Amino acid sequence: MAESICRALRDGALEGEHAPALTIKDSIASPFGFHVFCHVLSQLSSFILAGKSQSGGLVVVSFSRSPSFYLELLKNKGIDVVSSDKRIQILDCYSDPLGWKDRLIEAGNFTALSHEASNSSTANVLKDVKHMDKLYNSIVERGKGLIGGGKNRFSVAIDSVDEMSRHASTSSVAGLLSNLRSHDQVSSIFWLLHSDLHEARVAAVLEYLSSMVTSLEPLHQPANGHRGDLENLSLIEHNLKKGKFHVRIKRRNGRVRVMSEEVHIEQSGISFTSLSSEGAINQGLVPKVQFSLELSEKERIDRANVVLPFEHQGNGKPIQIYDGRRSLADSKHERQVAATEKVQTNEDSGGGEIIYFRDSDDEMPDSDEDPDDDLDI
Amino acid sequence: MAAAKTRTSSFSRNISAAAPSQGPGLKCGPNGTVFLSSGISDLDKILGGGFPLGSLVMVMEDAEAPHHMLLLRNFMSQGLVHNQPLLYASPAIDPRGFLGTLPSPAASKDEKSHKHDPDQEKGLRIAWQYKKYFGESQLNFDGQRDGKHEYSNEFDLRKPLERHFLSAQRVDCVSIQDSPNLSALQDRSATFLSQYPRNDGSISCAGRIAIQSFSAPQCAYSNMEWDMLSFIRSLKSMVRSSNAVALITFPPSLLSPSFCKRWQHMADTLLSVKAIPDEDKELSQLLTGYQDMVGFLNVHKVARINTQVPVILDATTFSIKLQKRRFLVLECLNQAPVDGSSGTSYGTSGSCSGSSKTGNLDF
Repeated sequence: MAESICRALRDGALEGEHAPALTIKDSIASPFGFHVFCHVLSQLSSFILAGKSQSGGLVVVSFSRSPSFYLELLKNKGIDVVSSDKRIQILDCYSDPLGWKDRLIEAGNFTALSHEASNSSTANVLKDVKHMDKLYNSIVERGKGLIGGGKNRFSVAIDSVDEMSRHASTSSVAGLLSNLRSHDQVSSIFWLLHSDLHEARVAAVLEYLSSMVTSLEPLHQPANGHRGDLENLSLIEHNLKKGKFHVRIKRRNGRVRVMSEEVHIEQSGISFTSLSSEGAINQGLVPKVQFSLELSEKERIDRANVVLPFEHQGNGKPIQIYDGRRSLADSKHERQVAATEKVQTNEDSGGGEIIYFRDSDDEMPDSDEDPDDDLDI
Repeated sequence: MAAAKTRTSSFSRNISAAAPSQGPGLKCGPNGTVFLSSGISDLDKILGGGFPLGSLVMVMEDAEAPHHMLLLRNFMSQGLVHNQPLLYASPAIDPRGFLGTLPSPAASKDEKSHKHDPDQEKGLRIAWQYKKYFGESQLNFDGQRDGKHEYSNEFDLRKPLERHFLSAQRVDCVSIQDSPNLSALQDRSATFLSQYPRNDGSISCAGRIAIQSFSAPQCAYSNMEWDMLSFIRSLKSMVRSSNAVALITFPPSLLSPSFCKRWQHMADTLLSVKAIPDEDKELSQLLTGYQDMVGFLNVHKVARINTQVPVILDATTFSIKLQKRRFLVLECLNQAPVDGSSGTSYGTSGSCSGSSKTGNLDF
């Protein structure tokens, strides 16, 4: 459910806990990751500006789109970044990530180009993305600049971890993300990943580091690989408009909540609906189970109430020997198919009873060899 | 010690003196092994006494759940409570911060678990024909639990450990995030372990090493798989010749499958933790007590030093529950009672013959 994810990001981190982190993962078969990212971004921004969230500001680290794109996007959603109390800052890692323009100018190869009319108040060009610690420092600096000091927190949105992984090793990217998560002033963080651009390990690393993982999958898998097939073409077309949205949320108590939704891409944006068909989400995790040989408290009390044979002798009452043929008081005890083994007791107005079924009724009574003769129940 | 030493084989080590009193933190076991407690009494019972001195315990984490932290916390707290020095390494920048989350032993001792040891039932009731001719002779077993309580404490996860246990002489912390290779950690471990050499005399003190998330991705060495493997191997050999136990947790999903297998072979005792899905109807129908469970613990391998006889456990999967959200208990998985009217449940649960998860957890 997209709402629960946005709510989790809005609520942020508890004291002494790492900030919630969301990974949005997609692939070529269902390429809506960026739409989802924008959706989450706009939701979180509106929460922040309305003052409903734990974080007081948002730093957008943009690698794959120019900052003006985000300004446009937020403006379309009704959020005017420039005048919004400077709650949203965009760290521009898109225009000149490796600092080439400066180096070219230095080398004197061409005259300085006129800068784009960028909103210098909201965008800040980062020229050295190879060093993750510098990136970390810039993000933290921007964030602190947004919210001031003290107990306030800010959120971080990373456009695309793919670009980060291009420039730096996986362990330094992982270090950056985990340091951001454990920073006292970061409230929540989310990022986008295109899983087919990397080895499986990178996706595994990012899933390890995040507390919520959403993945996008196509609704219909094409039957076989032939792309040219008409049926497959229409399926692929279908897949470009709709998809399945899976969410795995790691809860604080250690359980994992698994949810699924359908996602539709329309002109106006993205919408989430519940799945039309029930998908089987079970993991097939069936461990070796045993039968319970323990007794619960109630069962133990019942067992203690049973008067065993020969125990009641010597009470002054006449001793009756049971020969197994007279039926005892009706038992309300149903024979259950389950193999929970209990001593055969019956809860019967405070006292326990023993239910004894004689082996066979055919034998003549009072035969010499009858071992049950002195049964006393 | 109250534990009865049963002779399981005709070869038994000649122990010259009666078991030397080593204090509450150590317990003698068969074949000359000495155990220390894992901090979880259920786990000690499952493993046959605890972690043997000189063994390497490895815990495979689940990326989706923090249960390995519960094991780590109990392990570390138990060591501190028994005055066993601790070396703790973690990928956090400030590992000392984690010490503040260590649990404290539970105060009241009437928080006993509901499970009785069936052999020690008090007042065994016997229906005996000639009982009426004799007087009542009560056979009361005195619970021999007092000795056990000292060896393994119940930890209250909501109460932090008192400050005086965390003094610098007892706890040494190392951060492994920024070190480019493992030589620093190896040196620290070597100096730590050299303080507890093993010789045939009595054991004065035992040490514990706890390494959290050894192959965590933010560590600079995390893609140097051969180096990590050789570190584990050298740690294992150092631990073997000293009176210490090393506990390493690692996320197997981040390792390549062949290395994952190699690491599993390195361990003397191998455990793994697993997350469980929330509100899963199938599991709640299959298992009793599903609501209280937070995860599963699998015991893949139990350390057997000094003996060739393997341990074959009745069950290898246990559920992790937090009683009253405070006390960690491990329970066997029990099948929920089946409704007699529907006869189909045995069909669907037919897959319960295999062990829990496939892939790199199969051993």
